[in-house]
Amino acid sequence: MPDDHAYLSIDFLAGMTIFMVAFIWVATMIPGLLISLQGGTIDYDAVAYRTGVILVEDPGMPANPPWENKDDMQKDEIQRFGLALTKDNPNILAPNKIERFFCSTSFNYPDDYQRRVIFGDRPYSFNVSLSTFDAMMNWSVGDVKPDGGYGYIRRLVKIKQPSNATINAPAFRNSGGDGNVTGHVFSVHINCTRLLQDVRNPPYQIDPLRERIVVNITNLMNAYVFTDPTNVITLSKIIIYRQNPSQPLAQVRTFDTSYIDGGNTASSLPVIVNDNASVIFPAGFFYGMANENSHLYINYTFKLNTPDCFFNNSFTSPYDYDYSPIRVTQPLLKEGVVEVAIW
Amino acid sequence: MVNSDGQLFTIEGVAAGLIMLFSAYLVVSATSIYTPGDTHISDMQLEQLGSDALRMMNTPNTTATTGESLLQNITKNNDGVRFKETFLTFCNSTTGGSYDNLQISADLFYRDTLTNSVKQFHFAHSRNLTGGEHAVRVTGWVHLDLTGGGSPLSVAAPGIDPRVQAGLMEVLLWRD
Repeated sequence: MPDDHAYLSIDFLAGMTIFMVAFIWVATMIPGLLISLQGGTIDYDAVAYRTGVILVEDPGMPANPPWENKDDMQKDEIQRFGLALTKDNPNILAPNKIERFFCSTSFNYPDDYQRRVIFGDRPYSFNVSLSTFDAMMNWSVGDVKPDGGYGYIRRLVKIKQPSNATINAPAFRNSGGDGNVTGHVFSVHINCTRLLQDVRNPPYQIDPLRERIVVNITNLMNAYVFTDPTNVITLSKIIIYRQNPSQPLAQVRTFDTSYIDGGNTASSLPVIVNDNASVIFPAGFFYGMANENSHLYINYTFKLNTPDCFFNNSFTSPYDYDYSPIRVTQPLLKEGVVEVAIW
Repeated sequence: MVNSDGQLFTIEGVAAGLIMLFSAYLVVSATSIYTPGDTHISDMQLEQLGSDALRMMNTPNTTATTGESLLQNITKNNDGVRFKETFLTFCNSTTGGSYDNLQISADLFYRDTLTNSVKQFHFAHSRNLTGGEHAVRVTGWVHLDLTGGGSPLSVAAPGIDPRVQAGLMEVLLWRD
């Protein structure tokens, strides 16, 4: 007669199913329950080390166009922060990446930084700070460090200081008869091909497509030929022309602001100038309008009240923005230190 | 006759087996991976800092002059005092302005033509090593142009070859 060994009852199956579902549910929660039992300091130090490496040795992602050129509307396209000039130049940082990274109006602490540089599963608190040895530049983002119990790494870096040109206006005074007029044009020539090919090592290269370009014109009050105390100088416009190979010269942009007579705020053009005018083209300004084969001409137009021979090179040749230290202050590296604290 | 031989009546055993397999899977998947550096975090931090300091000293700030790095210049001129001051400034500086308390002892390794061997030349130190320090070691190659043999390093180390060569700078670094 058959017995009931090895037969499963419906009750047992139901009970077993409920047990297994409950067991799986509890088991999946266990890693979360144990997270506070991890070796906290070891984890913090490891995250701090990784964050330091990403910041100091990685240029970030996307690389081309670089992440720092993404404006606030495009910041979701930034996958990873990184301050290195290039991947082949660890510890050499790009100033435009630094300024963008520490921009508190563009990025929110901690969310924007958490998923682009800190990473990890836990909502870490952190502080990233950077300063130069001469204390001229200091940046910081994050919370105030606790007294102890945080992971830490310190990295030594050099920050690239971009080039700039200071032009002494009287040295470019036009004394020819045709120059005795009210309108004067001074042109600065940026030969992208030469700049990018003559020096190929990025820390010492002038890269007009990615870096800030600064042109200071000084001593304009002594650039007259005829002394007329009533004469007034007006910087009326700045026009940028581009010439690509096998293409005609074409106007591509205008630039509408300038720092006048040592002022700290940019003035809109046209503007009256007493002695000097500085124009700062921000990093990436030329990126969209030129390439590595382009020639760029920055044309300054000055107007005078009464005709005079003035600051003008339209009858001679443009001022070359190049690797001559006589014409252009060359890029310089400045020592600094980066600290990352995670808790 | 039907009996219990060969029958799978141990359903509890099957259930227990499943539970054990699941538990094993859970344990394996929850295992953390520790890198070697995790076990000596403080050593790793010092090594990184020393390595950065040597690298930064060996990177010229500009190409405007000779393109020679500070480390090349200091080594060629056998300027141990300047090496010590610069290296300590580099590795002790912080962003908050406070100063860390790291100490160093540096040696240069080069090929000696008199004995045809690699020789060690003591270059600089900020403290004497007593043996009780927990020091880490960092090294960096220095490109040396000793052509002509008149440099202070050539005078201090008579066996060093008067030519372009690479020397190995070794720095022991510890926290006081």
